[in-house]
Amino acid sequence: MARGRAGEKGKSRLSRLAVGVAALGVALLFDLFLADFVHDSSIRQLLMLAACNVLVALSLNVINGMAGQFSIGHAGFVGLGGYTSAVMASNLHEMLGGGEPTFARSFIVVPVCLLASATLAGLFGFLVGLPSLRLRGDYLAIVTLGFAEIFRLVIATAQAGEDGSVVARALSRLGGQNGYMGIDNQGIPLYAGPFWVFGLAFFLGVVAWRIKFSGWGRALRALREDEIAAAAVGVDPTRYKVTSFVIAAVGAGIAGGLMAIMRDGTPIVNPDNYNFQASFDAITMVILGGSGSVSGAAIGGVFITFSIKAIEQVQATSAVQALRREFESLDLNALRMIVYAVVLVLLMVVRPEGLLGERELFQKKRRARG
Amino acid sequence: MRVAHPSRAALAIAKDAPLLELTDVKVAYGGIKALKGISLRVFPGEVVAMIGANGAGKTTTLKTIMGLLPLAGGTVKLAGRSLAEDVTEKRVADGISLAPEGRAIFPNLTVLENLELGAYLHRDTKAMKETIEDVTALFPRLGERMKQEGGTLSGGEQQMLAIGRALMARPQLLLLDEPSLGIAPKLVQQIFRAIAEIARSGVTILLVEQNTRIALATSQRAYVLRTGEIALEGEAKALASNPEIQAAYLGG
Repeated sequence: MARGRAGEKGKSRLSRLAVGVAALGVALLFDLFLADFVHDSSIRQLLMLAACNVLVALSLNVINGMAGQFSIGHAGFVGLGGYTSAVMASNLHEMLGGGEPTFARSFIVVPVCLLASATLAGLFGFLVGLPSLRLRGDYLAIVTLGFAEIFRLVIATAQAGEDGSVVARALSRLGGQNGYMGIDNQGIPLYAGPFWVFGLAFFLGVVAWRIKFSGWGRALRALREDEIAAAAVGVDPTRYKVTSFVIAAVGAGIAGGLMAIMRDGTPIVNPDNYNFQASFDAITMVILGGSGSVSGAAIGGVFITFSIKAIEQVQATSAVQALRREFESLDLNALRMIVYAVVLVLLMVVRPEGLLGERELFQKKRRARG
Repeated sequence: MRVAHPSRAALAIAKDAPLLELTDVKVAYGGIKALKGISLRVFPGEVVAMIGANGAGKTTTLKTIMGLLPLAGGTVKLAGRSLAEDVTEKRVADGISLAPEGRAIFPNLTVLENLELGAYLHRDTKAMKETIEDVTALFPRLGERMKQEGGTLSGGEQQMLAIGRALMARPQLLLLDEPSLGIAPKLVQQIFRAIAEIARSGVTILLVEQNTRIALATSQRAYVLRTGEIALEGEAKALASNPEIQAAYLGG
């Protein structure tokens, strides 16, 4: 009996290892051959952007889904990660001698960049998480929004001036409103190929899944449901609330860091990429897929990314362009927000728990094992 | 019921010393005094009931013992040691466990997840499995509903789950807040039989109840709370035949 169970355990560990190796292999194949399969670089960009947005949604899901808090400033953490990684990549690239970003070199640049992004975002996640101990609901939401806007505006408005302080001078080198384009405006070296983007999306997806069903995730969900009952079984609300913010911020930092140095992406980070609309997109991803559901967040991330692109495509068609000549104010990208708002309202009426609710795809197996 | 905690030394208590001792405990919500100085003692192995009307301060007392409310005065001692400096988690780790009022279970977590959370502070898998076995032996209905979400259980089953979850920590002192609240009479009988069973296995119980009859039938001693003060105390049997109690709480 005992031996049978041990054997089973070993087997499942082996199969897990096999899945990991297979995923690594697939990611590697993507890196080498994606350009041959998908000739259109804008489609390649879209696919990788979807993977990054999945990471954004997965990380926001920790706060808005599992912890039951409400953050509407997630783009702030994404932006923090984006800028950190962009600056790190540019400087490392310079140190390594410039030239074209190679795949071999990406094994130095990408981990270092993402580690820096995750650390800095995590630090700010801790600071923003602190008020969550005393604030809840809409009050906490305002704090998160405030953080995101402060971050964006500090970068957008930084000016060195004659007698600027060290901090001001450093910030002004980030390009202000025009965005950061690497050292001497050469563009940010785009190191993160599909290997990194898809590989990390898969890996962190597994991590998010494990978090949800771990003792830690269970305690976090318990806290969301009933704080007194959770405290009565020994869950420390303070620690969990702050840690959930840190974990979400670290995830967002990695996602933002990847996006900034993503191959086939744009070699520039701009404060406007991290405005309220970006935070709102992230919320839509989580709510659409189902708050608290890891697979739901992933679906939401992919869906929103593709719908943004689809709307841009429609915008580019000749019919719409012709219409635009008639009505100058016609901007489908602005219309998108109206469409999202309507979709969200309908979703709240028809299916308030989102597509999947808190459930997961492929969950049956796990349940049977438990 | 297995009650010995796997990773916790049994509390060292002198002979005839109380396991739990409250001395002149005062608690206030803002300016409103909820507890005006109550003193009570619970000895190892006892079932002690606390009865009284709504707003008498029964739930407040339990929350104060758990450290969920700040003390405005007085002392709370477990096995002779003051709990003043201990946060709630520490008190749970030291062997106090609360089944909160109104079946405060986690409705979107499964029954199994609810129970596993009860053993949150000691993640000893073997001990956890054993305690789950014990809990399902005590409440067979929970065993049949392990994969169901807590919120889909009936009121009585939710109360069983709340008690079962509190037992998962293998407490020395179990605090029960109104286990009969809003539950079908037949299930109330079942739950109190289970409580007596838990007590027999060696767990000390402090029981808060509005159902005075069943509370006095289950306990050895009782305290009667009235507007934040202890109005009466004594043997449960004596209180049950006390004319004042009969008139006020037993319907005549």
